[in-house]
Amino acid sequence: MRVLFFAQLKDATGCNAVELAAVSPLNTPQLWTELLQRFPALAAHRPNVRLARNWEYAAPDAIFADNDEVALIPPVSGG
Amino acid sequence: MEIEIQLTDRPIAEKILPPGQPGAVGAWLEFRGVVRGEENGQAIRAIEYEAYSEMAGREIRRLLQEISARHPCRAAKVIHRVGVIPVGETAIYVGVASPHRGEAFALLAEFMDRLKQDVPIWKRRALPAEDESKKNHAPLAPSLSPLGGERVAARPGEGKFASKNSLVSLNEALVEIRTHCQPLPAVRTPLAEALGRVLRETICAPEDLPPVDRSTRDGYAIRADDASKTFSVVDTIQAADWKPRQLKPGEAVRVATGAALPCDGLRVVMQEHAERDGDKLQIVRPENSMNVRLRGEEVRQGRPLVSAGTKLNAGALAMLATVGNVNPLVSPRLRILHFTTGDEIVTPDQTPKPGQVRDSNSILIRSLLQNFPCDVEQSHLPENFELAKSEIRNRKSQIENAAVLLVSGGASVGETDFTRALLEQLGFEIVFNQIDLRPGRPLIFGVNGSRVVFGLPGNPLSHFVCFHFAVATALAGLSGGEPPEFLRGQLAEKLDDKPCPRETLWPARWEWNDATPRLRPLAWASSGDITCLAAANALVRVPANQGSIEKLTGMDFLPVTAMIGGGI
Repeated sequence: MRVLFFAQLKDATGCNAVELAAVSPLNTPQLWTELLQRFPALAAHRPNVRLARNWEYAAPDAIFADNDEVALIPPVSGG
Repeated sequence: MEIEIQLTDRPIAEKILPPGQPGAVGAWLEFRGVVRGEENGQAIRAIEYEAYSEMAGREIRRLLQEISARHPCRAAKVIHRVGVIPVGETAIYVGVASPHRGEAFALLAEFMDRLKQDVPIWKRRALPAEDESKKNHAPLAPSLSPLGGERVAARPGEGKFASKNSLVSLNEALVEIRTHCQPLPAVRTPLAEALGRVLRETICAPEDLPPVDRSTRDGYAIRADDASKTFSVVDTIQAADWKPRQLKPGEAVRVATGAALPCDGLRVVMQEHAERDGDKLQIVRPENSMNVRLRGEEVRQGRPLVSAGTKLNAGALAMLATVGNVNPLVSPRLRILHFTTGDEIVTPDQTPKPGQVRDSNSILIRSLLQNFPCDVEQSHLPENFELAKSEIRNRKSQIENAAVLLVSGGASVGETDFTRALLEQLGFEIVFNQIDLRPGRPLIFGVNGSRVVFGLPGNPLSHFVCFHFAVATALAGLSGGEPPEFLRGQLAEKLDDKPCPRETLWPARWEWNDATPRLRPLAWASSGDITCLAAANALVRVPANQGSIEKLTGMDFLPVTAMIGGGI
């Protein structure tokens, strides 16, 4: 699955996006485990980050499948 | 509620037209969020915004729909600028139309609050104010120049109009044209009339495509986890059938290629790999392939299919038909009025007397406009100013209804003065009347409200050049589409020239050479030279004071649509 990073999360991870090879669909805690393993610096941001799945905010019980586009949304500041 | 959403990296227009017909709404409320000169106590010169565009557009739409259920409004338009936005310029524009002001105020206030919580757009960084001494070195405007080349630091279109003679560079001209040519109100149009129009809303997949699992073979559907060797055939499904049912282990369904499978989790055994005897089925050859096109394999529900700003081509229209979007919101068909002037002109079927020339500009302009969805009317104006004035008085309503007016003038200074005087007579304000460019120097650009006019220098080559960089940019702007863009290519031959103090758009012929466009410069002697036009399919941008340029040098060029349909 493709995971996108925005704003300060780009600085934390050093990239815009990453391809996660998920063998089976992941729930939210599993997804975070995968991400933190790869990018420990995300830990500090986790409390403030919302997850989006296929261009919508994901519910807490969302399941993330291999062909989903996932995005980590830090607090927004548009307008 | 009609909703229009744009994310753009260009300046947001000073004036934006309300949607819908006058009379249908009683309130048109507008809000602009502008960049403040300080951030956290520090003086700044700009803020850089970042957006997750695909999601931001959807989230804005979702918020508007949710809030309008409580505060019903007729239409809303949201434009958020991203990239580097200088202090004092608009970061967000929101316009709301409603029958009465109360709903509009309520919707707008709530929308802005929610936008700041939910829409994935970020202030990425503030750019600190600079020392005066450094000011000249860092032009701010980001990607203001889709036509390539250097950035433009000057702010265009701030109510200053040409006094007597206003000479602009090619880049300045393009910025002026883009600034003054804002998208006209969008319309809903049947698919059959939408070819070449600019889509003004993003179309998302209303459901998964395909909406169900489909067989890719003639054969038998069985459960993917079924290890049975023999099966009983319980049903037959043809390509057009929809017969949902759960399959038990040991059950098989006869399916045709393209048939909708009766439930999830099935695979298809090719008929060649099975033997059937009445209702009994036996698999005779094991098969690794699923032979199933999975639900959502092509497109997932909610996935943007065609983005706002796309010029609709045949494939995009087929896509809209597939998802049942038969009345997309698109740019309007443009009305264009073209006048030729000059008493020396005779129609092409006549034999010119000494001093006369055949009119080639009418067919040139008409043909070039074939690439744009528009209605073109053409006529001729006499050179005598009083006669011309009375002629335009007769055509007053025609002129007022035209989104774009094109006037083909002569090439001399006297004739451009004539064109200019005519345009001022018609109420147009002249934005510039000369461009530092060869050919095409006496190009005039004027505006009157949302209507625009070009006075095109009379020579056919100048017409050709001015149309492709200036008129095409205006038509794209009025339609809400992407302006023409310079590409990078390589000279196939030496470009032979003396240094010219003006920039040049040099007629050329381009073709692919492996992955690189190769440009062959065409010979032309003057702006009256028409011989190269039949072959030209590119304009190479030659910097001022350049002189000859060696073979294989990398150059910017504008591909031009010499053939019908080429621009679609």
